[in-house]
Amino acid sequence: MVNFKALLKKSTLVGAAAALTMSLAACSGKTSGNAASSDSPVNIIVTNGKGEIDAQFKQAAKDFMKANPNIHVDVKSIAVGDTLNMYDKLTASGKTVTIAMFDPYSALHKYKEVGMDLSNEKWNAETTYALKDANGKVIGFPFAVEGMGLVYNQKVVEKATGGKFDPFSINTQDKLKALLDKIKASGVQYPVSYQTEAWSVGNHYSSLFLDQDSDPNVILDKLKAGKMDLTKNAVWNGYYDTLNLLTSKTYNKYGDRPLGQYYDAAHVAVGKGDSAILFNGDWAFDSLKAVAGDNFGFMPVPVDNNPDNPLNNKIAVGPTQVLVINKKATKSQQDAAKKFLNWLVYDQAGQDFIVNKAQIISAFKNNPNKVTNPLGVAISNAIAQNKTMPFSTNYINTSDWSTIIGPEVQKYIGKQESRKDLAKALESYYKSHQE
Amino acid sequence: MLAKKIDEVRYHTEISQKVIRRKRNLTSLGNSMLFLGPSTIFFAITVVIPFIYGIYLTLNKMDSPTDAMVFSGLLNYVNAVKDAEFWSSLWLTIKFVVATVFFVNLVGFGLAYLVTSGMKIQNSLRTAYFTPNLIGGLVLGYIWQFVFVQSLPALGDKLGISWLKLGWLGDPHMAFWALVIVTIWQTSGYMMIIFIAGLISIPKDLIEAAKIDGAGAFRRLINITLPLMVPSFVVTIFLSLKNAFMVYDLNFSLTKGGPFNSTLMVSMHVVNKAFVEANYGTGQAEAIILFLIVAIVTGIQVYSSKKMEVEA
Repeated sequence: MVNFKALLKKSTLVGAAAALTMSLAACSGKTSGNAASSDSPVNIIVTNGKGEIDAQFKQAAKDFMKANPNIHVDVKSIAVGDTLNMYDKLTASGKTVTIAMFDPYSALHKYKEVGMDLSNEKWNAETTYALKDANGKVIGFPFAVEGMGLVYNQKVVEKATGGKFDPFSINTQDKLKALLDKIKASGVQYPVSYQTEAWSVGNHYSSLFLDQDSDPNVILDKLKAGKMDLTKNAVWNGYYDTLNLLTSKTYNKYGDRPLGQYYDAAHVAVGKGDSAILFNGDWAFDSLKAVAGDNFGFMPVPVDNNPDNPLNNKIAVGPTQVLVINKKATKSQQDAAKKFLNWLVYDQAGQDFIVNKAQIISAFKNNPNKVTNPLGVAISNAIAQNKTMPFSTNYINTSDWSTIIGPEVQKYIGKQESRKDLAKALESYYKSHQE
Repeated sequence: MLAKKIDEVRYHTEISQKVIRRKRNLTSLGNSMLFLGPSTIFFAITVVIPFIYGIYLTLNKMDSPTDAMVFSGLLNYVNAVKDAEFWSSLWLTIKFVVATVFFVNLVGFGLAYLVTSGMKIQNSLRTAYFTPNLIGGLVLGYIWQFVFVQSLPALGDKLGISWLKLGWLGDPHMAFWALVIVTIWQTSGYMMIIFIAGLISIPKDLIEAAKIDGAGAFRRLINITLPLMVPSFVVTIFLSLKNAFMVYDLNFSLTKGGPFNSTLMVSMHVVNKAFVEANYGTGQAEAIILFLIVAIVTGIQVYSSKKMEVEA
């Protein structure tokens, strides 16, 4: 009895001490930084915004370090789903990030003081997707290129057209309507499965009208100055005419009630062949849950009935992640970073990492590899054929658009709002958000 | 002689009693530390400290958790009060609270009454009714999303019922009721368990006495069972109020804020404000205001209900 009490007393003290030490240990645990101001080796930190390729990125860093023993590359990846940028986290804790991965809009707005001028780098000759700032200087290395348009199931479409289908042959609204009728006649009751997520109808579809000038910033400046009357703009109206066609009761699987949580159902419908067309980007391939061997591609989104209108013949493609080199890094770190970027473009292991290992479409002409997913291949082919126009989503503030503009477009699709009101909403957004 | 001996014994007993009491206090202190210590530490670390830190944060202006903090006094609270969407999502949440609390308690009590009425299969029924509560909010939302988007429309198609055929989640009103229905399905089982405990503890002799006096089942329910169940109702109404005010996971997975933000509840608005719009300071201030509102409402509810409690 006495022993038990003594043991209890001892164990409480031990337990309390252990709990306190463990909590303290969890708080500290800072590893030594990379403060080495060294001749050898140079330490650079690379932040990766694509958490899903963390393992491949770290392996690529290892391969690079084998070829360059004087450089130590530390890859820090964000967890998938975390909204904070890794660059912010590291800089807030006092570390200098040498290469940071940003989306193009943030690289030119929130982080515009970070990137150094890369206009004289050799790899600029191999790509047209380098990110340029307002003065025309290249500040972003295009890491990942993606594209969006009308995703179609090749098997279903070719059954309806009765032969080989060239997606770029659908370059007017009338031709699209005729194709939808053909698909209906071939036995597919609803050729379109339109999913109405706010980011899709807002950030992606509703920004397409910015491509009416080869430099979307021209249109943006007009909008911000309040000099653009959207209701009178043919391209803006044209895209919403096409949207009406795609979401109509005749052709859209969900046409009776177009708004709803249809993302997964719509993709599976197109992937399995119950439907033929939806609007999304190459990242949607996994959601299609397609049988291996089935082929899919992209059609441009037509805006009018003029077959020579470049907007009808091009797919929106552009970099969705760029790498910038930090102006504040030391000269030796910046040189090491430039070496790493060159390695990604010119070294066979680097090219292999980007396309084969990470399954990212390369922005560079000299990369011979192709991704395995058919939508990615379709985008690479469009790049090779020069049938691309700027990725309009890169020119807008995506978090604002998905929470403010997206719901307005949804109201328009749900017939709760007229096109005039939608135009007013967009114009007033730009009047009050001038940055 | 004897008196002196008695005094000595009394003196020694007092001292040994003091020693025992001190030892007991020390042991009981040690016991308390062992059993309460870890939970108190974790509660402090995960609830109390972040809460106090959160209040400190609202006095600073921050766009995202890694920004430098700029002291700005009550600016965040002013912005939070001025934010019209916060108040409209709060109003929507209040409507949701009223609908949910009423129906959850009604269904929960009904189920508990059914399950204590002496049916043969009542134990398996109890398990069956409680199981939905074990499914987490996100998974539940995705399962019901499938039901509302695929299953119900397919059923409505076959049977020709039009209001089933059109996806419920595409219409603002039906999406709201979809949320209410799933919440009722999930939490009625939990409330049922609390009501069962209350129902079982009603003294059988009271019921027998009422039966002898000629009271029908309905009368017994109104005049005996319900008044004695007020403590259980206090607990269940408090829980369902709190759950309904703070709903997020179901909101996110079932409707994501619904067709054009029409089912955006206040928690989702706060999360969007802080993380999606990167306006951390205002979001945190709104969260504190929400906490105060819920604390006041539930405080009033518990205080006024305590007055209605009846001793058996």
